[in-house]
Amino acid sequence: MSHFEPDTVRAGDQLPALELTVTRADLIRYAGASTDFNPIHWSDRHARALGLPGVVAHGMWTMGAALRIVTDWCEDPARLADYSVRFVRPVPVPDDEEGARLEVHAQVTAVEDGLATLALEVRIPGDKPVKVLGMATAHVSVEA
Amino acid sequence: MPIGPEHEGRVYPPTRPYRVSRAKIAEFAAALGDTNPRYCEDAEPVVAPPTFAAVIAARAWQALFDDPELGLELQRIVHAEQRLDIVRPLREGDDVLATLTISKVRSRSTTDMVTIAVRLDAVAGDVLGTATSLLIHTHPEALA
Repeated sequence: MSHFEPDTVRAGDQLPALELTVTRADLIRYAGASTDFNPIHWSDRHARALGLPGVVAHGMWTMGAALRIVTDWCEDPARLADYSVRFVRPVPVPDDEEGARLEVHAQVTAVEDGLATLALEVRIPGDKPVKVLGMATAHVSVEA
Repeated sequence: MPIGPEHEGRVYPPTRPYRVSRAKIAEFAAALGDTNPRYCEDAEPVVAPPTFAAVIAARAWQALFDDPELGLELQRIVHAEQRLDIVRPLREGDDVLATLTISKVRSRSTTDMVTIAVRLDAVAGDVLGTATSLLIHTHPEALA
């Protein structure tokens, strides 16, 4: 496995893509770990009462899991300076073994003052991919 | 009187210190499916995944719902945006204070757009970072 070389990072670099899956069991686990027990993340009945198709993933799960594309790349999570997202579409998670799939892409859009700007794309794949995070941006230190 | 621009700048007292533990970091990283060795129980020091900051920050949100002047209720809130500004990663053993400020309020006919900034400080004195959230609050009469 190649090591992160901060001085070689350039605008236009693509990070290795990341595929995520999330099942109902993952959401239960995240609810406990994060103490976010909102029932829209574990009860179809509650989710449908609010107009959702069924149980949806925690936005913070999606934000946190997608960030792996950055921290797997730069290896040391302490390099992260900031990270921001908009939650634009929910991620429905069916009650089956497969769960939901997400694909994550990221590109370096600028390198300035020792910080790389990364633009992330997080989508539910399919014939018509659904973008679930908007304006997902991170800044990572590329100091040696 | 419901929440409005006159509440911008309101600061709530810090939450009781939250002790970051090795076991909770491991639990949270596992819930994200993140196997980065820095989060692993054998790492030295063990650091938390960056989005764990939002878990501690969310503990400070309760002050909003307990403030009778604002008329906010968790079940009428949608978490629309999240930003993390990191000074240093949370580490095992940190005792973290979360201080919530209402930074911006934009009221529309049936909703309020409320921006809150939760600053995280270690009891020992280090500034850790800030978790900023945009919450969309739907007025109770709009749901009637």
